[in-house]
Amino acid sequence: MIKINSLTKKFGKIPVLDNISLTVKKGDRIALIGQNGAGKTTLIRIILGQYLFNGELTVFDKNPRHHRVEILDRIGFVPQLPPPIQMNVGELVKFSASISRKSGIDAIYQKATELGLDIEKNVKKPFQKLSGGMKQKLLIALALAKQPDILIMDEPAANLDPQGRQAFFLQLIRSMENTTMLLSSHRVDEIINLINRIVEIDYGRVVQDEQIDRSHFADKMLKCQITLTQNHEAAIRMLNDWNFKNKNGGRKFEGGFIGAERLRFLTSISHFANHIQELNIS
Amino acid sequence: MNTFFQVSIADFRESFRAKWFLIYSLVFGGAVILLFVLGITESRVMGFTGLSRLLITYIQLCVAILPILILISTVRSVVGDRESNILEYFLSMPISLGAYFWGKIVSKFFLIFIPISTALLGAIVWGMVKSLSIPWYIAGYYALLLGTLSWCFLGLGMFISTLVKKQEWGLGLSILIWLVLLLFIDVILIGLMLQNQIQESVIVAVSMLNPIMVFRTGAVLLFDPELTSMGPASYVILDNMGYRGFLTFTILYPLSLGWLFSWLGFFRFKRGDLV
Repeated sequence: MIKINSLTKKFGKIPVLDNISLTVKKGDRIALIGQNGAGKTTLIRIILGQYLFNGELTVFDKNPRHHRVEILDRIGFVPQLPPPIQMNVGELVKFSASISRKSGIDAIYQKATELGLDIEKNVKKPFQKLSGGMKQKLLIALALAKQPDILIMDEPAANLDPQGRQAFFLQLIRSMENTTMLLSSHRVDEIINLINRIVEIDYGRVVQDEQIDRSHFADKMLKCQITLTQNHEAAIRMLNDWNFKNKNGGRKFEGGFIGAERLRFLTSISHFANHIQELNIS
Repeated sequence: MNTFFQVSIADFRESFRAKWFLIYSLVFGGAVILLFVLGITESRVMGFTGLSRLLITYIQLCVAILPILILISTVRSVVGDRESNILEYFLSMPISLGAYFWGKIVSKFFLIFIPISTALLGAIVWGMVKSLSIPWYIAGYYALLLGTLSWCFLGLGMFISTLVKKQEWGLGLSILIWLVLLLFIDVILIGLMLQNQIQESVIVAVSMLNPIMVFRTGAVLLFDPELTSMGPASYVILDNMGYRGFLTFTILYPLSLGWLFSWLGFFRFKRGDLV
């Protein structure tokens, strides 16, 4: 669906993307990870035909700059920050539905409902006046209603609080099936359930490209034992969420998870690294 | 074509809610009301009184403030959308660059033209209510003149908007251009004439390249057909173009300039990084 070969993008003399090659196939759900300034947003904007570049890039076998309308009609995009659009919600929904061939007002309402947003209640509200979470849900509903062949999301939960982020991703998982997806994020743990491939960009280069579900341990059950330094409430709550059982009422916990979840598990416990005395995964 | 209209309508709605539009409308609506309140229709200048006198004053006001108001309000169009990430979002939709750019220009033109023409129309209606004689010829020509001037500075504003990377630079450049154009109406040109170093016809030609000067001279021409108020410059203008020729020029020149800047802006916009 997307073929990138020796792609370089410079701003002035500074290369932001440096000789990148990447192929995105149908069904890939990619987490595009990397630090701030790694080049994630630049890559997304190039795919959307918004930046000029050197090298080769085709989306649906076409140049995204020369066949913008055709290509963008098949791509759903959710930006990092909701833009300060002055239109009210109803107008924005109508506008989006009228611009995209496959979108429609009913489809947008349905997708928004699936994400937990009642458009009807907010139809007269200026988009600007919605809360951060509501804005993001509406933008996702607009993108999904297009029935995109590729869904691109640039840090879609960047402006949500931690609880909001969790709820948002849970709702997103429920509302999407078999969509090819490119999801830029700082935090893999949040999106791990959405993706099947990780591409890491660092200083404008692809430094990691790995299929998650094809890994050696993906379908194996892993056994884990953790000993905490003290009875840390939040850490215990997290372990309970993972169905870990406390052993003999002490600080030792036992549980398990499937291999495909190991990255998410390790990220979860990394928040409590100071409170872990012993960790054993086998 | 559908996306072009959708973009125009969306941009019209967006701008209609913006504060600049409210201020802009109040300035021109308020100017006409103020002129009535001040009793300008009762005064007489060069034989003009009543509604003609008011329209002449109104058009002189427009010479001074319309260009800068248009520049300030349009110069942020592309660069402002770019800075606020609105452009990133809208251009991720299947909207052609032409539909986006020209859709915005058309909506901005109506936004600019509606308040000034409504003020003009309001003045005429008020004149009819007050049983003043209506100078239809002057009013019609002034409406046309205001339209072409708006188009000219709208094109320039959009061009600047595609040229600069920051809104502040756009605003700075707009004010600078406006000041230069204002200075080249009188101050600098009179200085050059007094020095007698440059031929008069060259100075007049330079002034006729200035769209504000063309607008101003066109406005003067209707109530002063021999341009006596302009002194010797009138010979150069009227000898070369004639009355009707110059009237046509005052319409066609700003219109062409507006198209030229709009196209330059569009080419600049579509040839570079969009966001």
